[in-house]
Amino acid sequence: MCSKINKQIVVFTIGLFLLFSPTVLMGQDNVEVRGEKERWSSANSLYAQGNYSGALDEYLLLEKQGYISWPLYYNIANSYFKTQNYGRSILYYQRALKLNPSGNDIRVNLNYAKQFTVDKIDEVPEFILVTWIRDFNYLLSSDYWTIISIVFSILVALLLLNFRYGPSARVRKVSFFLSMLSLLFVIVSTIFAWNQRSAFHREDSAIVMNAVATIRNSPDNSGATLFILHEGAKLEIIEELGGWKRIELTDGRQGWIATEDIEII
Amino acid sequence: MRYIERFAKKVHFKRVVLFTLFFAVASVAVAQTTFTAQAPRVVEVGETFRLVFTSNGEPSSFNPPSITGLDVLAGPTSSTMSSTKIINGKRTESFQVSYTYILQANKEGKYKIPSASVVIDGKNYSSSVVNIEVVKTDSDKSKESNEKGSATVTNQDIFMKISISKGRVVTGEHFIATIKLYTRVPVAGFEDVRFPSFNGFWSQEIETPQNIDFIRENVNGQIYNSALLKKYLLLPQQSGSITIDAAELVCQVQIRANNSASRSIFDDFFDSYQTLRKRVYSSPVTVKVDPLPSGAPSSFNGAVGTFKMSGKLSKDSVNANEALSLIIDIHGAGNINLIEAPKPEIPASFELYDTKITDSSNKGAGGASGSKKFEYPLIARAPGEYSILPVLFTYYDIAKKEYVTLSTNEFKIKVGDATGVNSSSSGLPLGVNQQAVRSIADDIRYIHSGRPLFKRGNVFLFGSQIYFVILALIFVFYLLLEKFLSKRVQRNRDVAGVRSRKANKIARVRLKSAGQLLNEGLYSAFYEELHRAVLGYISDKLNLSLSDLSRDKIEELLISRGVKEENIAQLLSLIEQCEYARYAPDLGGDNMDKNYSKALDLISSMEL
Repeated sequence: MCSKINKQIVVFTIGLFLLFSPTVLMGQDNVEVRGEKERWSSANSLYAQGNYSGALDEYLLLEKQGYISWPLYYNIANSYFKTQNYGRSILYYQRALKLNPSGNDIRVNLNYAKQFTVDKIDEVPEFILVTWIRDFNYLLSSDYWTIISIVFSILVALLLLNFRYGPSARVRKVSFFLSMLSLLFVIVSTIFAWNQRSAFHREDSAIVMNAVATIRNSPDNSGATLFILHEGAKLEIIEELGGWKRIELTDGRQGWIATEDIEII
Repeated sequence: MRYIERFAKKVHFKRVVLFTLFFAVASVAVAQTTFTAQAPRVVEVGETFRLVFTSNGEPSSFNPPSITGLDVLAGPTSSTMSSTKIINGKRTESFQVSYTYILQANKEGKYKIPSASVVIDGKNYSSSVVNIEVVKTDSDKSKESNEKGSATVTNQDIFMKISISKGRVVTGEHFIATIKLYTRVPVAGFEDVRFPSFNGFWSQEIETPQNIDFIRENVNGQIYNSALLKKYLLLPQQSGSITIDAAELVCQVQIRANNSASRSIFDDFFDSYQTLRKRVYSSPVTVKVDPLPSGAPSSFNGAVGTFKMSGKLSKDSVNANEALSLIIDIHGAGNINLIEAPKPEIPASFELYDTKITDSSNKGAGGASGSKKFEYPLIARAPGEYSILPVLFTYYDIAKKEYVTLSTNEFKIKVGDATGVNSSSSGLPLGVNQQAVRSIADDIRYIHSGRPLFKRGNVFLFGSQIYFVILALIFVFYLLLEKFLSKRVQRNRDVAGVRSRKANKIARVRLKSAGQLLNEGLYSAFYEELHRAVLGYISDKLNLSLSDLSRDKIEELLISRGVKEENIAQLLSLIEQCEYARYAPDLGGDNMDKNYSKALDLISSMEL
């Protein structure tokens, strides 16, 4: 009698997992406030009319209310671009890209906005495999990778049970291989999901916000000037000391920059 | 001063003669008869001057003017001059007749000498009216300079002036700047001429005399010889107060050497002159330029004035790959030479080549006027019907103080199929000319307009509470399933237990079929079934194969399992009876019922 109930529960939960769509899963801490939709659409129509600064104010108000979503960041970036504030525009494109690394529109606009910046920093070419793996990782967002990993872990569990209690030796053999394969998928998708999440939470890159920022060789104003960066340049943060940050460019040069000159993505 | 004046007059006369000579030659060349009057515009009281009527034809009669208010000292005296020139075998003849009056003014005022007329070849020609202004003699000054012998030249004697036609303009509105030299001393030549650079203006010289001709002019009651040096058409390019910087030049002024010490007898006969270099500046002039009012339409690109526009197509139906042109003609007055080509929106299937601009405007004292023609050569590339949207052109009307937008009509072009000329001439199949898709303009992509999912706080599913709950659930269900399945397997493995558990069930089924046989009264079949039921029950319960079942073994095992002696004895007797009955003939009906109920009792009562 007891075993029957167990079986029912198992079937029910598996069904639930399969039925649940990602949006439902993600919607768990989704706070819908009346007015936010109206604000969003009014900002969009202001943008369509060409009143970019008006639209920007509305978008920024939404951001101030604590809403986080890549279309919001993307639209803020577009508004900044239209009001010729290229540095902030790049900052928000980068933020949108962090949330939605596979966003093609974001990438296109970011590359376009980069043309309006002064600094051209050579990037050290990356090992092609790393690029491929990263591109593959960013084909899907972290949430989708998480869902994939959950689905595959359910599969692993079921296949393992089948392996142990399967009716024939052949079935057991196949189940074993399939379960190992699924386990591999679980590991890969979990790593991808984790990687994206940690990349988002890592505050290791920043955009220069001042028109001109001086990079010194020591964290004080008396340090010798190593080089000068302009608005919109991207840099990596290595460490922090007082009001100064040690940064590195993509071409490998390092130096110290005042914290107020930059904005962390 | 007297000498100076005389000299000036001499110079003047010489120039007049030269000029008239030149003029006569030129007019013969063009074979046009002229009759002109010449006299100084301004004279002093008591000064004698000439009034000359000149004709380049031979007059048959001269009708003199009636001169009033001025004393005629002599005249009219006529003189005839003719010359023949052969240059490179080309023969030119000139002929000139002049009538000269010597006049003197006695009173200040403005006098008008009416026109004289001549009859040449039966035609009547009359000269224009000559105006002469008579001013008071500047006696003090001439005396003073006479006494001093004037080896110096003051800024009063020679100065330069820039005059502008308008002091307050808007950006792009034209005005004229005139640079004039005024002198009361004879000038032999100029050096180091520097004209203003006109910073902030678009400037063009509109009148630059080849010869510098001095004309007498009355400046504050003083007679000056004035000469026009340059005339500029200026168009302000920026707003605010713009200063036209000073013009400067060095004049070689000839003054009479007045060295009394070395005065010799020859000096009385020969005037000795010395040349003095005098730098002359004009004062800078400031022009106030107002900016154009805001709110200019997008089609405005700086045109100021009054304009008209017309547009047409050279052809309105062509075949593909043929050329046509859109011609926009703008005419009017204003800064027409600065007008940029309007930008028509040409359909993408036309190739637009460089605009040809024909500027046929002329710049005069009234500003630039005329027309400017913009020709846009087009080549149709694809057949179809196209329309070019009306071309807009906006200018700022100075008089109305507003922007005026002109528009042409919409142009319609019919493009037919390409004619086969190309393919037949080349002899090769004409392929499609493939072109890369051109990017007309580049911009960022449009905003995301769909409704986003607004989230607050932790935005990632990975690492969230629900993620760990799901993982834990998966693990728990795995364990539960595992436990459930392993238990089932364990139980399946206990074969004897299964047999013994199933024994009752199987025995009852057999007894049931035996009961059926009993009802039918089938004697041996009944016993066979009963026997099998009982033996099968025993063998299942004791986990023995049927072949191993012997009386002794059954008894032994049942005793060891603690079954009552009485039950064992009954069971054994039942088996015995069944075996017996299977092979023996039917003895009587009541035994069957009895044995059946006994078997039922035994199976249910025996607790194994």
